Amino acid sequence: MKKTLLIIIGLIVLGIAPIVIRSPFFVHLMIMVLMWTVLGASWNILGGYAGQVSFGHATFLGAGAYTTMILYLKCGVDPWYGIFLGGLVAMVISLPIGFICFRLRGPYFSLSTLAVAEIVRLVALNWESLTAGPVGLLITTLPGVSFLGQPINWESKVPFYYIIAIITLIALIMTYIVSRTRVGAYLLALREDIDSAESIGINTVKARVVALALSAFLAGIAGGFYAMYLRYVDPDAVFSIGLSVEMLFIAIVGGLATVGGPLIGAIVLVTLGESFREHFLSGHLIFYGFFMMVAIRYMPDGVWGRLNVLFKKLRLKKDVNHGTA
Amino acid sequence: METLVQSLVSGILTGSLYAMIGVGLTIIFGVMRIINMAHGDMVMLGMYSSFWALTLWHIDPFVSIIFWVPVAFLIGMLTYRFLLKKIVPAGELNTLLYTAGLSLFVSNLALLVWTGDYRTIKLDYAVMPLRPLGIAVPIPLAVAFGMAILITALLYWFLVKTDTGRAIRATSQEPMAAALMGVNAAQMEMVTFGLGTALACGAGVLLAPSLYLYPTVGEILVAKCFVIVVLGGLGSVQGAIAGGLLLGVVESLGAVYVSVPYKDAIGFVIFLLVLLFRPSGLFGVGKS
Repeated sequence: MKKTLLIIIGLIVLGIAPIVIRSPFFVHLMIMVLMWTVLGASWNILGGYAGQVSFGHATFLGAGAYTTMILYLKCGVDPWYGIFLGGLVAMVISLPIGFICFRLRGPYFSLSTLAVAEIVRLVALNWESLTAGPVGLLITTLPGVSFLGQPINWESKVPFYYIIAIITLIALIMTYIVSRTRVGAYLLALREDIDSAESIGINTVKARVVALALSAFLAGIAGGFYAMYLRYVDPDAVFSIGLSVEMLFIAIVGGLATVGGPLIGAIVLVTLGESFREHFLSGHLIFYGFFMMVAIRYMPDGVWGRLNVLFKKLRLKKDVNHGTA
Repeated sequence: METLVQSLVSGILTGSLYAMIGVGLTIIFGVMRIINMAHGDMVMLGMYSSFWALTLWHIDPFVSIIFWVPVAFLIGMLTYRFLLKKIVPAGELNTLLYTAGLSLFVSNLALLVWTGDYRTIKLDYAVMPLRPLGIAVPIPLAVAFGMAILITALLYWFLVKTDTGRAIRATSQEPMAAALMGVNAAQMEMVTFGLGTALACGAGVLLAPSLYLYPTVGEILVAKCFVIVVLGGLGSVQGAIAGGLLLGVVESLGAVYVSVPYKDAIGFVIFLLVLLFRPSGLFGVGKS
């Protein structure tokens, strides 16, 4: 009951935020937070629930971004279908990658995803007929769309805000569904002990491939959005190790294998990072590194887990007070 | 023929420095099971140390290495003692993530302090390469090669011949048994981390005159480092030396005979193949 209320309040806040606070920086910040929430949620499905720590998720983000961009520039496909198709392409690409990397376990899986991501980045950098290489792809105008009879103004950030808000909701609902279904239980089982999971008849390869495909789909969609929002992609911007690392940091600092974790992680880290970027030229990821070390050392369940514990303690105290009163 | 010899030579020269960095990573993994994602950033710090020693105090990199290596050794020991020690029992994946955090922290601190500008070190004697037998050998790289061999050989001698070295190897092979024989495992771990850091930093000092310096250079170096140690077998010192030389040669031949842009990809493809089909390394001596 309380939870439903909280969710409804959250949705209302999400809905009216850009109308109430009109500062372009604030709207940009909100867009970045939500986009990184989607990316963190994407990483969380594979890294949190299935325990497969990927260092190469930028591959899927990049695949989505380039698919959307190329379809729009070369085939004239509207980005709003393109973003979805970007997710699908990322999903398809994830299958052979899963086939290769899931043969390895633990840290070796992580290192292999790092290697795959670097290979993909180098291919994107050098396949100039498709990706225009290091020059990158640029779009100047977005197609005109009207909503409720009103043409949408793409120069304003607000439409982008609502698009990413909807994508974020989809990502969080998807995470929730995964956590509640049989697949989610399989993933948790194989995360805790892959051999035992296999011995009780779970097809761990299939379960991990499903997790990776869902995860890649979300990252691809976020990538497509990223391309449309910034209107520019180049291989180092969307395929870099740095992006993969940011995703995993947001998911881990927020709280692994929780629905709200990536949201909290993105709120904390992206807000700190972007505000820092306002004042200093470079080095905004310093907080990511710092919070990662703190999270691993002091709060293995992330900020979300820590908040939950605090919340429970508070409630317990209140109950005790009520009891004595 | 001449191109072949030329690329072999430059491959081996670069490879010797890769080997030095790889040995540092592999001894750390061997003793503590830490996959140190921050290893590349130690190389980066070494490169900047060398740059600042030259710019501020006019000390040649090949001289300043004499004091930078002990400093790095100390910093490595302190890093282990105060940052990493408590994390190690939590397992390989946690230390991997923790050192990834450390790496991001260090490289972004460097970005903040030194900005992202590319820097180079110019040495007066580096303008003309040596030309023995018609093969061009850049002087800084040749000196770095000599020093890398010297340092790696010293380390090897230390590990094989001295008591501390034996204790380190024993801890790496069987920590429990080593502890029962009276080896102070905690101390050995600290010393090993110091040694690994000193090797990375030393290699950075030596590499600085031959590469561009920028704060995130560690990212690509650490990836190469993983290729090297996996090639040679994780935890194996000889393997890392061979792997480093091999990667240097493969990259340099790849640049000539395959394509320049894809030379970095070759290493990663080999890396994946080795991980999948020979997880204990090409020579079968590593720990999987």
